[in-house]
Amino acid sequence: MKRTILLSLLATTALAAATACAARPITVKGSDTMVILGQRWAEKYMNANPGQVIMVTGGGSGTGIAALINGTTEICQASRAMKQDEKLKLRDRYQTMGVEIPVAKDGLTVYVHSSNELKELTVVQLRDIYRGTTTNWKQVGGKDATIILYGRENSSGTYGYFKEHVLGGRDFSARVQTLPGTAAVVNAVSKDPNGIGFGGAAYAKGVRDVAMKKDATSAAVLPTAAAVHDGSYPLARHLYFYLRKQPAGDTKKFVDWILSADGQKLASDVGYFPLK
Amino acid sequence: MPGPSPRTAALIPRRNAATAGPGTAIHEEEALKHRLLAVTATLLWFAHPGASHAQEGAASDTGAVTRQELNGLLEGLNEQLQVLQADTDKLKKFKFSGYVQARTEFSEASNDSVKVSGSPAVISSPNATRFFIRRARLKMTYDSSPLSQAVVYFDGGADRTLRLLEAYVTLLDPWTPNHDHQLTLGQFNVPFGWEIERSSSVRELPERSRAENVQFSGERDRGAKLESQWTPKLKTTLAVLNGGGVNSTDFPATDPTRGKDVTGRVRWSQGAWDAAVSGYRGRQVTALTGPDVLTDKTRLGVDAQGFWTLPSAGGGSIRGEFYSGHEVNANALRDSIAAPTSTNPNRLLKSGVNGQHLATDMLGWYVMAVQNLGDRFQAVVRYDTYDPNVDVDHDQFERLGFGLNAFYDGFTRITVSYDAITTDAPAGPGRFTDPHDNLWTIQLQHKF
Repeated sequence: MKRTILLSLLATTALAAATACAARPITVKGSDTMVILGQRWAEKYMNANPGQVIMVTGGGSGTGIAALINGTTEICQASRAMKQDEKLKLRDRYQTMGVEIPVAKDGLTVYVHSSNELKELTVVQLRDIYRGTTTNWKQVGGKDATIILYGRENSSGTYGYFKEHVLGGRDFSARVQTLPGTAAVVNAVSKDPNGIGFGGAAYAKGVRDVAMKKDATSAAVLPTAAAVHDGSYPLARHLYFYLRKQPAGDTKKFVDWILSADGQKLASDVGYFPLK
Repeated sequence: MPGPSPRTAALIPRRNAATAGPGTAIHEEEALKHRLLAVTATLLWFAHPGASHAQEGAASDTGAVTRQELNGLLEGLNEQLQVLQADTDKLKKFKFSGYVQARTEFSEASNDSVKVSGSPAVISSPNATRFFIRRARLKMTYDSSPLSQAVVYFDGGADRTLRLLEAYVTLLDPWTPNHDHQLTLGQFNVPFGWEIERSSSVRELPERSRAENVQFSGERDRGAKLESQWTPKLKTTLAVLNGGGVNSTDFPATDPTRGKDVTGRVRWSQGAWDAAVSGYRGRQVTALTGPDVLTDKTRLGVDAQGFWTLPSAGGGSIRGEFYSGHEVNANALRDSIAAPTSTNPNRLLKSGVNGQHLATDMLGWYVMAVQNLGDRFQAVVRYDTYDPNVDVDHDQFERLGFGLNAFYDGFTRITVSYDAITTDAPAGPGRFTDPHDNLWTIQLQHKF
């Protein structure tokens, strides 16, 4: 009996120790908005640090947070803040609410087709469009045509940010065509003269950005670096890294480099905005 | 603004890896999407003006594929992708989750009994070791709309039958952005205490405390529940229940007390610490030959948890929970009721016994500490005690438990635990002894 127990314990410990001792690269998973940025950061850092392996995958902020909770990624990239229930799930497993590190800024950009003459929208007008109460471009000063809505899946942080900050937490119209990534949204809008979409600023090519107004009396602002930094662009947001605990060792070196002037410059080169 | 060209952006597959390793797991559905996106992206590249000029040139030479044909093919694929997306969106309303706990237990002595399942413990005949499935659970959730949800939850672990564990419908309020108020009707966890609201799949030791096991056997009941998240930190839950619970002999018959039990819970989640108070009030029937005995069932619970992080090791926590109450006591039933026999099939109170004395004041509590040791290991220690009748001695249950969790991957963990149990068993007139009922448990859990 005792021998059986002892053998079982040894086998269990050996199995777990074997998994713990295996060399692991730094894994980064999450936001599709940030996947290009994460890839560029990883590529440049790996070039400067031969031997260091960094794996970057997308899937959406929600997917990244789930991976952080179940332990399949070390760093989660998220284009929205973690929700309370997600933090509690993380705490259930790791006894910690996690560590949030802002790594860059973004201006959530509203795209329309290049032929669309609409120049600006208020946040309320945008909300009404995506809630489905405004259905024709004419209602917001555009042409007489039905608005075709493109959006993201609910695992996307951009979806979550838009829902919270534009829709006030309310649900999207059932008419929204959900697409699997910001690139797909941009692609759809670029082909659809009546389309509208939203996503990260770095993706806005082949479509036209719509200037946003906080309310009817404020100035219309495009998502430029200056407007994102001074807060005049109403849909400016932070992009985050989430970790289970304070980074240490190779992970800390990678995070420190991202927050350095070199890392922040690369964020700017890719089309996002540095923290400062 | 500098950035990737739209063509580059379109070509970057979603969920692709910069340097994805061979172990990167991709869901089958995602893999299918990847294939479609890859085909779409390839065709987009061909449709690119530069690339397509070359193709047109080739087409004029060979009569092979024209740009128009490629565009038509692309549009066709896009339509197929949209249909696939619509179907996928429907399927996404179904969410399946669950876990399996396969376990083996080793008793302290070869002639000892082993707890094999259930709460409170169901003791097998003497059996030194045993393999069994403690829990095998499958939950299906259907998010039909943002305002309602249905859940069906099965357990097939304890024996050879498939048991309905939970089944309920939840209405989410339409007047708050985050649906902060939810009304649930059906069979669900009784909203009382920290242990019950935490899934067995995340608990650090294999079983809940003894006090919880006895008071809330099965943890679930049928009724209606109103949950309100007043602020991100303050949550209240109020429920009206049949009162018997899923493991009572009456279940799922109609409420034997013909009166509903009421329970409520107020929880404050600060983050670094949480605290909550729970209350329960109801009635309990003891069936006898002749008039049944109706007694009060009241419970009060207080729980608190504190969390910390050690730089090198990771997160840790200390938790405590206190239960007190007044309810029917199994020992009192045994001592006060004359059990039916073949010659006298009546079930009656013994002579001179007051039926109200079947219910006694109880007390139970536990304190436990958990410390993560890196991301893959976790050490646990817990002391728990339960006294079903605070007015008599030698009926207390005490347990000191130790555990080690090793997380094999994101879904599977191995738990090794040891319970040192202290109880008083009669050993002659005025003498008591602690039975040899300490327990080793090894459990493999996979959660999906």
